[in-house]
Amino acid sequence: MKILHGTWVPESPTDFVQAGQFVLWGESTDQKKVNNGDRHPRQLVKAELADLLEQDFGLDILNYRSPSAQNQPCYFLLPTVENQPLPSLELSRYLEIELPNQFTWQYWKVDCYPTVARTKVRTGDTEAINGVVPLLNDLHFIALHGLSEVQLGADLLFWFHFTQALKRIIFKDQYIPAWKYREVLPPTPQKLAKVPKESTAKKGKAKQAIADIELYPAWEFIGEDYEACLQQFVDYMPWFCAAGFAAPGEQAQFHDRLSLLRHFSECLLTEVVSKVYRTQAVEKAIADSLIAQALTLPVPQPITNPSEATLENYQQWQTWRDRIVRTQSRQPFYLYFQLQDPPQPDQYWQLQFQIAPKQDPSLKISLRDYWRLKPTEQEKIKEQLGVGEDFEQHLLLNLGYAARIYPPLWQGLETDQPVSIALDLDGAFSFLKEAAWVLENAGYKVVVPAWWTPQGRQRAKVRLKAKSKSLGGNDKRKSYFSLDRLVEYQYELAIAGETVSEDEWQRLVQAKTPLVQFRGQWLELDQNKMRQMLDFWKTQQEANPELSLLEFLKLTASSDEEELEIDSDREETLAEMLTNLQNQCQFQAASEPENFQGQLREYQKRGVAWLQYLEQLGLNGCLADDMGLGKTIQVIARLVQERELAIKAGVKNVPPTLLIAPTSVVGNWFHEIQKFAPQLKAFIHHGGDRCQDVKVFKSLCRDHDLLITSFGLARKDAKLINGIQWQRIVLDEAQNIKNPKAALTKAILKFSANHRLALTGTPIENRLMDLWSIFNFLNPGYLSNQTQFRKGFELPIQKENDPRQVQTLKKLVEPFILRRLKTDKSIIKDLPDKVEQKLFCNLTKEQASLYEAVVKDVEKQLEEVEGIKRKGLILATLTKLKQVCNHPRQFLQDESDFTPERSHKLTRLTEMVEEVMAERESLLVFTQFTDLGSALEKYLRQVCHYQTYYLHGGTTRPKREAMIKEFQNPESEPSIFVLSLKAGGVGITLTKANHVFHFDRWWNPAVENQATDRAFRIGQQKNVFVHKFVAIGTLEERIDEMIEDKKKLAGAIVGADESWLTELDNDSFRSLIALNKQAILD
Amino acid sequence: MAQSKFSRTWWGQKFISALEPLMDSGRLSRGRSYARGNKVKMFEIKDGSVFAQVRGSVNPYFGVYKEPLYKTTIEFEPISAANWSAAIALIASKASLISRLLLNEIPDNIEASFKKLGLNLLPASKKDFHTKCSCPDWSNPCKHIAGVYYLIAERLDNDPFLLFELRGLSREKLQLELAKSPLGKALCAEMLLEVSPPDLVDSYYSPPETVTVENCPDFHHFWQGNKRLPQTIDPLPQVPVAGIPIKKQGDFPSFWHRDNSFLEVMETLYDTVKIKGCL
Repeated sequence: MKILHGTWVPESPTDFVQAGQFVLWGESTDQKKVNNGDRHPRQLVKAELADLLEQDFGLDILNYRSPSAQNQPCYFLLPTVENQPLPSLELSRYLEIELPNQFTWQYWKVDCYPTVARTKVRTGDTEAINGVVPLLNDLHFIALHGLSEVQLGADLLFWFHFTQALKRIIFKDQYIPAWKYREVLPPTPQKLAKVPKESTAKKGKAKQAIADIELYPAWEFIGEDYEACLQQFVDYMPWFCAAGFAAPGEQAQFHDRLSLLRHFSECLLTEVVSKVYRTQAVEKAIADSLIAQALTLPVPQPITNPSEATLENYQQWQTWRDRIVRTQSRQPFYLYFQLQDPPQPDQYWQLQFQIAPKQDPSLKISLRDYWRLKPTEQEKIKEQLGVGEDFEQHLLLNLGYAARIYPPLWQGLETDQPVSIALDLDGAFSFLKEAAWVLENAGYKVVVPAWWTPQGRQRAKVRLKAKSKSLGGNDKRKSYFSLDRLVEYQYELAIAGETVSEDEWQRLVQAKTPLVQFRGQWLELDQNKMRQMLDFWKTQQEANPELSLLEFLKLTASSDEEELEIDSDREETLAEMLTNLQNQCQFQAASEPENFQGQLREYQKRGVAWLQYLEQLGLNGCLADDMGLGKTIQVIARLVQERELAIKAGVKNVPPTLLIAPTSVVGNWFHEIQKFAPQLKAFIHHGGDRCQDVKVFKSLCRDHDLLITSFGLARKDAKLINGIQWQRIVLDEAQNIKNPKAALTKAILKFSANHRLALTGTPIENRLMDLWSIFNFLNPGYLSNQTQFRKGFELPIQKENDPRQVQTLKKLVEPFILRRLKTDKSIIKDLPDKVEQKLFCNLTKEQASLYEAVVKDVEKQLEEVEGIKRKGLILATLTKLKQVCNHPRQFLQDESDFTPERSHKLTRLTEMVEEVMAERESLLVFTQFTDLGSALEKYLRQVCHYQTYYLHGGTTRPKREAMIKEFQNPESEPSIFVLSLKAGGVGITLTKANHVFHFDRWWNPAVENQATDRAFRIGQQKNVFVHKFVAIGTLEERIDEMIEDKKKLAGAIVGADESWLTELDNDSFRSLIALNKQAILD
Repeated sequence: MAQSKFSRTWWGQKFISALEPLMDSGRLSRGRSYARGNKVKMFEIKDGSVFAQVRGSVNPYFGVYKEPLYKTTIEFEPISAANWSAAIALIASKASLISRLLLNEIPDNIEASFKKLGLNLLPASKKDFHTKCSCPDWSNPCKHIAGVYYLIAERLDNDPFLLFELRGLSREKLQLELAKSPLGKALCAEMLLEVSPPDLVDSYYSPPETVTVENCPDFHHFWQGNKRLPQTIDPLPQVPVAGIPIKKQGDFPSFWHRDNSFLEVMETLYDTVKIKGCL
């Protein structure tokens, strides 16, 4: 594993101009034998680093490889133990080491790649430049989307975020050309003594006292945004970012983080601005000015001992700069400009001046009212505004500054009590179009009429008038299956939602101003666009087109709202359809199916209704509720409901549904179906003895409602599955088909079904290509092909952060994804504070054979022993069997591989932990076995690379407290706490976790509950989800049944431990531990 | 190299245009080169009069064999104290005038206010100023006078209040008059702001300082910050007009000596950085 790090390393502070460089370096799990004492042993050496950057990240690293390249290594101050640097947090998750609490600091020498790029300065003239901003953006994009095996360190992530923030400030033009004023004292005589030749000439006493003045051209940031940005990011900044030095220091020290950020930002600004491309015209326009000098950087040439005139020039610049800084700084009040439209179109518009305190803008008062007040009342207002005697001065200055950027304001200042200005139609239009923006950006508040705001704006549009057309007709049976709905449409010309005749349209096109009053309502018209729309409308008149509902939804979502309006309100069915699809949370809840053996929560009923509705429209959706909200139960309810509706409609046979799920949950699905809908005929297509014959398979499918299989077999037995026309294909954990090139994905895409349904708990909207793949399964073509999607959405959204495309994509996919979060208010209302669910997992073949061997062995012995020995035997057997259920290694105690392949429980845990971590939440895992706990912790840390803690009986008190404190810290990474049931079951608070896993079962639910309560205590802000693992067909399932139904255990009292089980007679005990062989799944 | 004008403000140019009809183009152009060529050795403004010493040139025709130093005086016709009071009262009744003065500009409509009182602020003709020079030139104004006059025009660009002083109203009196009205008080306060001393720096960029290792509390904070990074990145701001932060200060700031617009140049630069900058 390789981790890419990087930070800003300033040059050694010897010169007045102290620059620096941004460097990248690599850290690797491979340890090198390095002779040289201070070389970092886990670093990627120059050639390796070059390979990594070129091959993994596809960087053009210029001439970094050439031996002549000036690449000095850098020195990093790192935590060190026993003369070895400790690995970074990221790397430590790939290494089998304990991170010590005690360490020293030492400088380590590391090969570095400086982020130098080339940029065009003039035509045919390039220069080297620090290309860190675009580079980090690229690295982040590549690493985020798993396009590389290399991980970015938290340090680089920090710099990525910081450089993006800085970029935003540069994009707001918050920097100016500047002078730096320096006084250089002549060298002291003592130093001169070392250079005897020159000393005689400069020994004049008078000269010693006078300092030389040097003026350097420069660039500097101005404004509060910049300062606020620095302050904000210091808190995010890892200390490592401040640990890079060009040369090792004499003592261990860091850079001060804030000053380092400032240094980096100033260097970057200077680089970027001074090396920007400029044409000859620009060169000409700036000749002999401060800007020209500041652009000849980055080797700033000072003016030494400037003339009086130049010094005056400096003073003038300084005054100018100070004034800008002053106007940028906060004043306690806002100055408002409010535009009011006239009652009659030919009258003047009024632009009113108003003021309000920043703290409470509701205390707004117009200047007109202010001037009319008595002096004592004015004093009161000033008090509210938080201003003193100089209020009028500030007000005038602010009005004056505003008039400078919007000169029409001057006419309002022809009085000693300014209140407003009057604007004619053209003036008002140009105010709305441009001045309002400029004033707003300059820190003033602008209030425009409601019809101009994005929400209230009315436009001339082409309106698509659509109505639905069902092919099903009145045939009940057909409409039950009704699939293709068509949308008929025609175009109309419309303004402000009203149809406009061609004549009227023409008249408006010819209006002199773009601002017109139309049927009593002001609006802006773009006459050019209106002409185009008219042409478009004319060409569309002859056709009588139809669209499928899917095409219609696509058109609706991707069309430009400013030009095309979708109107369906004339026709109820379509309008209702669109409303329903767009407001999923207001869906009318379905009534609970009669034959459903359970209780659906309100939101689950809405989910079922949504599934039904979508299928009725012939659309395929993705149920993406948060983990724990019960996706399985909603699907089962839908299957039951479907059959009940079919019977009512007189349909006899509903074709079978195919459910494809990860192996680890296949058993759980089956179990849940038996529990909630035993009447549904389900079978599991799995194992070596599964049906392979086409005919038999067909008849098997005909006789069942549901076939459950795994992803692996869906691919292997694709031919078999392909022979069936399915009612529905359900993909559980649909992200399994995220790779469109995989054979599995291709096979599944070929299956033929009336409906398709995807289930997933991971937030797919953040991984765009996964989203595309799932949609390609659900509604092929809806999100275009992969290349088009990448170009149209993935790159603009994930690389350029384009808010428009984010919006369009959201509109496209929203009707098809039902994703309820456990934090949604409407969900919380339906949820108990503690949500418990059981996860039924099968045994693997290996586990089953071990389990059987133990059972066989004990059955023999059971007849032979008595008394204490019998008790001991029973207890030992229980322990052994539970170990087998957890993982073969735990039972075998042979240090063999602790892999998920050998235990479905472990597989399921891995999958679920991944989902929790993707949500950036923390979790607890309880087990009653210490050895299993340590294996789990090691596995989760070193194989899955999560942040973990482990608490067991042997943990010392200080360590335990430190771990809890770190885990609970809201600013620490989400992490996993593994606890042994005995040591971690009481006393401590771990409320940062909102998921609790019980890896094995305890006989007494009170003990489990007490453990669960570590997370479920005062301070817990979220609902707690409890997941209990149960091995199917084993004693664990039977324990679970007993706990569920204590009455069945006649006379027995479930005690705190297992000793009561020793009272069972041999037969009872045998049936308790017997293995149900159907529960095996390999 | 672009020929720089002496004044880029409307009032500076109007000031110059009062002189230019009085002289031939040859004397004017020599006057300009006197002003540029560092020939004006001493320059003092006292009670509305300008006293200067101008280095002349050797001219055997006039019997001048050694570079002479001429004494040149320009006196502006003062406005009477009573008239000033009335004028200032008028100025202080208009926010547009005061706001512009606050911005260090002569308002372009100020003459309208003066006209109401039968006055003019800027010299309009020969009767508004009197000139003297010790040079042998028979013509008055001579090139030395012109040189000094151009320098005054240049100075007026950055110090519009000098105009009041030249017309007989000292800064102290101006402030007294202004203080009589609330608007005027505002202007007064701004005028009293002092010029700050130069910002001395010890290094070109803010220097990265060092701190001891004790500041880093533990291993975790070494690799991760005190706070977790935000999960999202804000989109780039969409600002329709470039250079808004500097625009409030107006065009042609005093340190900008070129004739083309400073704001236009900066707008171009800001836009180029956004499009082509290495960001």
